[in-house]
Amino acid sequence: MRVVIADDEADVVTFLKSIVEELGHIAVSFADGNKLAQALMRETFDLVILDWNIPGKDGIDLLKWMQTALPEHPPVIMMTNRSAKKDISDALNAGADDYITKPEDRSVVAARINAMLRRNAGAGAFDAEAVYGKYHLNRLDQSVTVNGETITMTAKEFELADLFFRNADRTLSRNYIMETIWRTNAVLATRTLDMHISRVRAKLDLQPENGFRIFTVFGYGYRLETITTSN
Amino acid sequence: MNLRRRLAVEWLAIGLFATCLLVATLFWRGTASFDHLLYDQLSAAQRPPADGDILIVAIDDTSLSALGKWPWDRDIHARLITKLQQKNPRAIAFDILLSEPGPPDADQRLAAAMAAGPAPLYIPLHFNAPGSNGRDYDTILPAPAFAQVAAGIGHVNILFDDDGIVRRTSLCFTPDKGGKTWPHLITRLFESKGQPLSKSECSNPLLIPYAARGSFSEISYADILNGDVPEELVRGKNIIVGATAAGMGDNFPTPNGAGGMLSGVEVMANVLAASRRNDFIRPLPDSWTYALTLAPMWLLMVGFLRFRPRVVLVVSLISLAGILAISIALLFSRLWFPPGAALLGILLVYPLWGWRRLQAMSVFMDSELRALEQSGEVRPLPIPSNQTTDIVGRQSEALASAIDHMRDLRRFVSDTLADLPDPMFVTDPEDRVTLTNKLLNESLEKDISGWLLTDALDLMVVAEQRPAVDHYIGQPQAKGQEYVRFVSPADKTFVMRRSEVRSDSGVLHGHIHYLTDITALAKAERDREEVLQLLSHDMRAPQSSIIALLDGPVDADAKKRIERNARRTIQLAQDFVEIARMGETDFAGEDVLLADLVREAADSLWPLARERGISFSVRDTSDSAFVLAEPESLHRAICNLVDNAIKFSPADAVIGIEIDRQDGANVTVTISDSGDGIEADLLPSLFTRFASTGQHAGRVKGLGLGLAFVHAVITRHNGTVRAGNGDAGGARFSFTLPVA
Repeated sequence: MRVVIADDEADVVTFLKSIVEELGHIAVSFADGNKLAQALMRETFDLVILDWNIPGKDGIDLLKWMQTALPEHPPVIMMTNRSAKKDISDALNAGADDYITKPEDRSVVAARINAMLRRNAGAGAFDAEAVYGKYHLNRLDQSVTVNGETITMTAKEFELADLFFRNADRTLSRNYIMETIWRTNAVLATRTLDMHISRVRAKLDLQPENGFRIFTVFGYGYRLETITTSN
Repeated sequence: MNLRRRLAVEWLAIGLFATCLLVATLFWRGTASFDHLLYDQLSAAQRPPADGDILIVAIDDTSLSALGKWPWDRDIHARLITKLQQKNPRAIAFDILLSEPGPPDADQRLAAAMAAGPAPLYIPLHFNAPGSNGRDYDTILPAPAFAQVAAGIGHVNILFDDDGIVRRTSLCFTPDKGGKTWPHLITRLFESKGQPLSKSECSNPLLIPYAARGSFSEISYADILNGDVPEELVRGKNIIVGATAAGMGDNFPTPNGAGGMLSGVEVMANVLAASRRNDFIRPLPDSWTYALTLAPMWLLMVGFLRFRPRVVLVVSLISLAGILAISIALLFSRLWFPPGAALLGILLVYPLWGWRRLQAMSVFMDSELRALEQSGEVRPLPIPSNQTTDIVGRQSEALASAIDHMRDLRRFVSDTLADLPDPMFVTDPEDRVTLTNKLLNESLEKDISGWLLTDALDLMVVAEQRPAVDHYIGQPQAKGQEYVRFVSPADKTFVMRRSEVRSDSGVLHGHIHYLTDITALAKAERDREEVLQLLSHDMRAPQSSIIALLDGPVDADAKKRIERNARRTIQLAQDFVEIARMGETDFAGEDVLLADLVREAADSLWPLARERGISFSVRDTSDSAFVLAEPESLHRAICNLVDNAIKFSPADAVIGIEIDRQDGANVTVTISDSGDGIEADLLPSLFTRFASTGQHAGRVKGLGLGLAFVHAVITRHNGTVRAGNGDAGGARFSFTLPVA
């Protein structure tokens, strides 16, 4: 698949290119926002990794432009030095599909790129059982087994865990989660979601030692991150 | 013309006018009536006693009825003289005109009696005025027969004052200019004792000190003739023979009590007594009179310039009394100073000055009010509502209104001063505080009005900075230094500026001292210093390490260390930005599930912990406590604490993380490591910003902003943060937040 790397810092471009190519994809880089915009109008890409402070048209402008000018635009991962909660939520709300704060570990970046490309390729088929690391999900009786031990969960807790596992390394907005699990547009009391996530986290003991962590994107949503312990 | 000059001109004019008037008054004796009256009263108070050596032989009514009507036979006079001479008098003044010759035999007998002695006998001459042939006087000498035998001839002129009263006598009389000078009959008699009067003395009229009326011994002419008189009454006496009878026309008004008519002989007796006592009252010489008349007036005029109006009135009254006192004192030393003109001078200039000054003030007020009106600072003169008040009254009203307006203006100014946004105070040229404003009083919690500047500064400035402040205040304003900066005992930083207040004419009225509270600015300055410190040291240090590492072989270990250094820089930058942001924005909390936030913080540091085999032991008894938090900064704060714990824990250690809901209202997060703990002396300053920079070594070194950031965040979240050492020895950090 073709991945656009839009950044003007050569080191960063090299770093990202090597990840993309390691994942078996084609990397195309742009150092100027306007040129990227022209390319997006003519060519087809599967993912854009976009720097906020790119010369020409900057990241947020490009995002907004894509929302209006390119209805079928590829997913966008914002990747910048900006780490403030407001910047992150602004970018996500402006249409970015994910957000990575520089610097980030190679493995994390790879997982996030992978997750985004996977989604774009169509989420995995609905299987009765799925295995995510040490977690075995049985969607028929809505149970999770860890090391042969079955963990009792409520329906909503299971659905939440399932949603996270299926969308591992993808940032999910709170609204998306609530619409998916509770199937309602009504604004749920924020504490309800927090409590559910807290319980899922506690029951499944989702922590790096077990290969996963739930990451809160303040002001936006959550992400289940897979922890790679290669080294 | 300004008021001062105008008043000076008026003053001089009054002085000159009064001087001319007084000189004229003195010259023409304008106050003679008053002076005579005063003299009569004063002299009556000090009558001399009668002179027992003087005997008046009176041609009285008794004699007239005994000897027949006047004129008498000259034989009778001869007999009298003979009788008198037999009793040995000292001298005889025979005040009976013998100018025309009588029967020759009688004249001869009288002349013989006169010549017989032993006592000298003096006879009078008289003058006819106006004289014949255009002369002022015709001198009528006694008949030659008598003139030849008499011991001496003297005049018996009576001097009348303007009011017809006889107060004075001339001891000499010169009827023709350059002609013969005739001494007074009494002077002749007096001089017979061998005491001649000086020429100059005798030509001036002298005031006679009268003895009480009828106090001189008097014997009737007829009694002498009858020989009823014992010899001792006459022996050694100065005899004055003359008429006293009412019908003889020889009586004169004198200032001698009620009625005051004295016979000519009694007047002469008084003159003789005064000559013998030598206590004639001499009129003050003209030059002295002029001086004494003008001096008090001018003194008072000078007083007008010196004293306030009320004092001037008192001074005027004192002047009047003083003049009278001088006059009385001089009279006691036998000098007469007529005080009328001098008194007139005082009575004249006081009201005159009052009037002219009022006039000048009136004109001045008018012009000043007009000037004020034109300057636009004062509202226009009100149209006089009450026409019955005079012009000065109306001007006063206008002035009062102007003053009212000025008062309003002053109040406005002082209110403005009071409400100035900076503390300030004003001192007078003696360095005493005269004015303060609200802010100063508030910041000092004291009203320093009336204090000396030095005391006020004692209150405002910490002792060690006083010399600098004193130096600033001591130097003239023009000299360079524009302000002085000091710290108050309340730990506020002030900049003080001092400016002079001078009037239009350049007179120093005092100083204004402005204080500007730059505490916030000073803090910002300190912060900036700290930032520079941070940038110059904390930020540089990891970069320097990276450069140093790149110098050697970049193996896996070096890479790891480079990465750690780079992350430390990023961490620092992030903390720094966060702290700055927190300083600028208001707290905007949202519901956060604290236990999950802590777990995620631990999760995010898991890779770091894993490298050293460190694991976390999380114990959560918070019962899903939510807190009102800014999740991002609170997350970072917890990360900092966990990061610290990892940093100072030995390899393979367990870091304890507790989320504990102590009571219903608070939840406490405790992070304890198993390192060496914190040195006790570092505990108090652990959370102050940049505590780790510079001097501190060991445990705290290299923490950068971490703990300061934690402190700032927790404080911002209305919580408390504590540091200490656990029972097992490791460091133990905890913070408590209110449950939302």
